[in-house]
Amino acid sequence: MSRRLRVDWPACRARGLCHELLPEVVDLDEWGYPIVTDAVPDALLADARAAVRACPRLALRIVD
Amino acid sequence: MTDGPLLWYLNRATGVVVLVLLTLSVVLGVLALGGRPGRGLPRFVTQSLHRNLALVSVVALAVHVATAVVDTYVDIRWWQAVVPVGATYQPLWLGLGAVSLDLIAVVVLTSLLRTRLPHRAWRATHLISWLAWTVAMAHSVGIGTDLADPHGLAVLPVAACASAVMLALAVRVARAVRRPRVPELGRAA
Amino acid sequence: MTGSAASPVPIPVRVGVHPGPALLAGVADGPSLPAHRARYGDLPTPTLDELHRLVSAVGLRGRGGAAFPFATKLEAAARGRRPVVVVNLSEGEPASAKDSALALSAPHLVLDGAVATARALGAREVHLVLPGDRPMARLRMLAAVDERHDKVRLRTHTADPRFVAGQARAVVELMSGRTNLPVTAWAPEAVEGYRRRPTLLSNAETWAQVGRLVLAGEPAYRRLGTGAEPGTTLLTHSRHGADPEVREVPFGTSFGDVLPPLPAGAAVLVGGFHGAWTTWGLLAGTPVSVPGMAAAGLPLGAGIVHVPATAGCPLGFTSAVVDYLAGQSAGRCGPCVNGLPALADAVRAAWQGRDTAARVDELAGLLTRRGACAHPDGTVRMVRSLFTALPAEVAAHRDGACVATTRAGVAP
Repeated sequence: MSRRLRVDWPACRARGLCHELLPEVVDLDEWGYPIVTDAVPDALLADARAAVRACPRLALRIVD
Repeated sequence: MTDGPLLWYLNRATGVVVLVLLTLSVVLGVLALGGRPGRGLPRFVTQSLHRNLALVSVVALAVHVATAVVDTYVDIRWWQAVVPVGATYQPLWLGLGAVSLDLIAVVVLTSLLRTRLPHRAWRATHLISWLAWTVAMAHSVGIGTDLADPHGLAVLPVAACASAVMLALAVRVARAVRRPRVPELGRAA
Repeated sequence: MTGSAASPVPIPVRVGVHPGPALLAGVADGPSLPAHRARYGDLPTPTLDELHRLVSAVGLRGRGGAAFPFATKLEAAARGRRPVVVVNLSEGEPASAKDSALALSAPHLVLDGAVATARALGAREVHLVLPGDRPMARLRMLAAVDERHDKVRLRTHTADPRFVAGQARAVVELMSGRTNLPVTAWAPEAVEGYRRRPTLLSNAETWAQVGRLVLAGEPAYRRLGTGAEPGTTLLTHSRHGADPEVREVPFGTSFGDVLPPLPAGAAVLVGGFHGAWTTWGLLAGTPVSVPGMAAAGLPLGAGIVHVPATAGCPLGFTSAVVDYLAGQSAGRCGPCVNGLPALADAVRAAWQGRDTAARVDELAGLLTRRGACAHPDGTVRMVRSLFTALPAEVAAHRDGACVATTRAGVAP
């Protein structure tokens, strides 16, 4: 199955931790908001969970 | 149980350590975690530092409380560590310590459960940290036995902690005034 | 700053409603309940299975813009506990007037569709979300509610006068007593909406179609339209400087047969502010049909055909629309808050003669699928269609040779 990161856009405030923790999947746009570039590969699942936990706004979720 | 001065010294030393650690954690939280990413440490490093300092301060706080209770030089009971009234030794200042401990417990527990709480509820609760720190400060000043000594160095950490938090607050307020979050946050309610 | 740019198409005060073959057949009789019952008789009470068979048989699709199959929503809502039925009459799009037309001319057809569905689902409540900036439609609908005695409760809400207030999640927020703005949907409303209950939320025209189907039956419904796409749809014909006119058109009719002709090269905006630009020459031969228009690269959307001022410039008009849409953002999602003003700047620059196509493409990538609602997506779609459908106009601006004289009826 393919897991993806989904952003809760109204909650996101461009703090950027998701990009720091998961640069493989999360890029930042010119305003600092995340660009989810790809599905989360199994090898990065733990990192993705860490990014979800680290989000200061709780604006990130992993969806199947 | 030992009656030696070791516990007493340990208690006073951990008191200072807890205050310093709490202050560092508060300063990091106030300065580094709001707003936008900038220069300096990556955000997640600051975030872990903030969290880990807070957790270490909880351990130090446990030692601080345990030594105060176990030490028989003054009469402090277990329940007096959490119940802010009814103490016999320095009832006001010890009571403030108990209040601070309770508030810190609320902040720590809600933060451990943060991912399962609504963000707003967690954030509102987390603002209790300000109160917890302030009460801890009052407890330190009031009960700190060395502060009365004009030649002692005890006044230094207390003054440093107070100025650090005041400075952090000032920087945060100045930042908010100078760089309103309007373009990023939007204007609608 | 684009914070308060007005819509280049004003919200209509008066709406012209043409009598039509089905939904709008009773326009001349007036909107009262007795007139409605005299035409259609009492409201039947189909079971859920019967209703599902009816809406699947005619392939009924939502008329709010997304053309989502109604039967699929009905199935989802039927699976959960204590479903809720919502009639969305908020009509946040200024160029649209069809929901107002139904409220003014056939309110009981809309309510019958919603009530019959609520009873089939076992729902106890039907929520009506009325427009905050169209007082006539709102009052007519409230009067219609007062006339009725249904076995389900009719509850009314009034939407904020804002473009995005009619978005499905924003409507659920309004019903829940929170700010009438979009939030992130982790599941479809029909699965988990109002108070986490399955919420069957559809646009007023969709409910009127359900009402017509239940009242008149499938054979009568099929007499209009095509075999693949039975029935009719409502079009709002919006023109610069005139009251909008709402017409009911059988599917399969070509636009050239229902709308007054224009020069072949005239720019026409189809589907509203989130729709697409095309030329009358292309549109006139296109059938009024969801798949038929998709084949021509056009959205039927909520059935809006807007004709800008004859002397106006489509680039200038688009610039005014994007200024307005940027100001209508709920201001909650970062990409929308930052990206729509940037897009407005890029479109204004294109109108002023600079080559901003690359910047528009870049912003399109940053705005698409990056918000709680599709407001940025729709805006991007409309802007991009300007560059693909009217390349000669865009090139003329780069060469400093705009043939038009005004932006949106307003001097540049």
